[in-house]
Amino acid sequence: MRAAVAADQFYQETRDLRVTGFLLFMVSDLVLFSSFIFAYLYLRNTGQGWPPPGAPHLNLALAALNSVALFGSGATIHFALENWKHEKFMKFAGWMLATIMLGIMFLSGQGIEYYSLYTVDHASWAGSGVFGASFFTLTGMHGLHVFAGIIYLTVLLLQAAQGKYTFKYYTGLTLGTLYWHFVDVIWVVLFSIFYLI
Amino acid sequence: MAVTAPQPGGIADHIHPEPQGFIRKYVFSIDHKIIGIQYIVTSFVFMILGGLLAELIRIQLMNANGGFMTPDTYNEVYTIHGSTMVWLVIVPMVTGGFGNFVFPLQIGARDVAFPWLNMVSFWMFPPAGLLLYASFLVGAPVAGWTEYPPVSLQGGPGTSMWCVAIFLVGVGTTLTGINFLVTALKMRAPGMTFTRMPLFVWAQFATAPLVMIATTALAAALAALFMERQFGVPFYDPTKGGSPLLWQHMFWFYSHPAVYIMILPVFGIISEIFPTFARKPIFGYKMIAFSSISIALLGFMVWAHHMFTSGLAPFLQLPFMIMTMVIAIPTGIKVFSWLATLWGGKIQYTTAMLFAIAFIATFTLGGISGVFLAAIPFDLWAHGTYFIVAHIHYVLVGGSLTGIFAGMFYWYPKMTGRFMNETLGRWTFWLFVIGLNGTFVPMHWLGLMGMPRRVAEYDPQFQTINQVESLFSFVMTLAILLFFVNALWSIRHGKRAGHNPWHARTLEWQIPSPPPYYNFKHIPTVLANPYAFDEPVPYAGLEDELTDSPAPIPAGAY
Repeated sequence: MRAAVAADQFYQETRDLRVTGFLLFMVSDLVLFSSFIFAYLYLRNTGQGWPPPGAPHLNLALAALNSVALFGSGATIHFALENWKHEKFMKFAGWMLATIMLGIMFLSGQGIEYYSLYTVDHASWAGSGVFGASFFTLTGMHGLHVFAGIIYLTVLLLQAAQGKYTFKYYTGLTLGTLYWHFVDVIWVVLFSIFYLI
Repeated sequence: MAVTAPQPGGIADHIHPEPQGFIRKYVFSIDHKIIGIQYIVTSFVFMILGGLLAELIRIQLMNANGGFMTPDTYNEVYTIHGSTMVWLVIVPMVTGGFGNFVFPLQIGARDVAFPWLNMVSFWMFPPAGLLLYASFLVGAPVAGWTEYPPVSLQGGPGTSMWCVAIFLVGVGTTLTGINFLVTALKMRAPGMTFTRMPLFVWAQFATAPLVMIATTALAAALAALFMERQFGVPFYDPTKGGSPLLWQHMFWFYSHPAVYIMILPVFGIISEIFPTFARKPIFGYKMIAFSSISIALLGFMVWAHHMFTSGLAPFLQLPFMIMTMVIAIPTGIKVFSWLATLWGGKIQYTTAMLFAIAFIATFTLGGISGVFLAAIPFDLWAHGTYFIVAHIHYVLVGGSLTGIFAGMFYWYPKMTGRFMNETLGRWTFWLFVIGLNGTFVPMHWLGLMGMPRRVAEYDPQFQTINQVESLFSFVMTLAILLFFVNALWSIRHGKRAGHNPWHARTLEWQIPSPPPYYNFKHIPTVLANPYAFDEPVPYAGLEDELTDSPAPIPAGAY
């Protein structure tokens, strides 16, 4: 009984540290994105008018569809964690899988967009001008985050299946959820600044 | 037995087993004290290299026609000198070094929040330094430590190596910042409220978010520069629609906070040394603590004062000038508080105290020339001259480095259990202060007379002053060599110090020197802030620390 109480306290304090540390890590990561967003807005507003000559036409419909997939995955991972808290493993696994699938959908959509920009419109590749530079750097960095997130969530799902987390001790799952929401929020900003304004 | 067995419970009682073997103990250690010493030693090694480059610069400048090295080599030398001193010496020394060694002890913790991450942070640092120096082999960067495009877009692969090296150091410091912030927020001993934290802890607490946020912005700027150089992704090249000014904005958004990263922890060191050797409570505890925070906040709002001559719109220049002058206020508050601490104190002139007193004078000189430079009309006059060089060296050598020496003499007994030699220490002190002022005071004159910085050859009318500066710089080098001799000799031959040779009152002095791997047998309870010198030390639960009662039992994994 005493050991169980101790384990509880240890778990709570460690969880506290890890969640705080992870939030701070996301703050740093946010600064990384913000710096590139600043660079993009700076170049956009100080150059010779925007869009610069030769800038490609982005596929708003595809990006909107992509956004729906990613925002949807924000909801599914929330359901996954809620089900874990309610000790329903099968539902948790289902929602996790759905999240991972939506993430893969998003990446595929982005791949299609990149491919069409590259083949149809050679002039718009990253080296061609400031538009390409900021667009591919920012969306590429975000894409890498999604890619890392898919691997992260897959590992979490496998670990959960192997019993690494209990319904009581599951900090790793919380962190994964936080990360995925973070990637989601970044996309809201990127979608707005590249496709909407 | 029952007394010393850890009460199974929270993280404070979760003790790692004692590390075994040389590699676990001293190389890939996860003990914050060892990592702190690793940082300090590595930084000093890079300081020798950077100092060597500085002397090469001074030798070149002894003759108005140069001739000691080619102008191209000269450009490489001052670029690597500046990059070394900022990123490989002062930043790691004051955050990773003193921060790691002292700050977890001062808050009564067993370690930082993420010890393993701490080890990773450290091990990014030496490879990055080696990479920076390896760039000499392929043509080192030549655009100065600020690496402004378009110059930094040209030239050999050295500049790309510079990007990678600084990026790596930056990732390490960012992780340290995260680690320290969590530690300061979550791992203070029971009873240590924010207004009971020692001032060094306050300084680290104010620095950690600066490190975390500013360094990441630099990482973005470096990544963009690297991509532009290696893959032709245009950010900074004006012929492709990019903007060189963008680099300046991103670089200074990091590098201005970076000067506070380099000085705030030193303010903390000074705030510990003064009350200890004046035997008097620190004056204005809360003002010093809050001024650290306000410096950290203001530090993010002044970066464009480095860009007054770069063509910034006038409506932007004015607020940056005002904010820069405002930042002198919290700094002034600190200086006046330290002076008031000395006032009426019973001062003991140890070497640490001498360095701390010299710090006030030399740092204030650097601060005053900083206020000059904040004024746009003066900056237009002095920008790009030796006045800037004088200013930065008064702040970084007269400020940070002097404070680092003060801290070394102060905490050396805690790190090794022995004193550094005081006689040698005094020689170090006087030679250092004479050398420092002799080298950098005349640079103000040179700057006002119009000698441009970063030139390998110059107008012969400046030659005499430059030769005098070079001679004094050799004196300073001699002082630093004496310091190294002292530090190495004292490890084995220094006088034994005992656990609290200075009769200081912060927590690290209440346990044996050097502290055991678990730091505290029992986590103490803190009852008040540590500076009330007329009262007994405000801690409960430290009775067993200096007795030979058994070490606490490492907790197994729950």
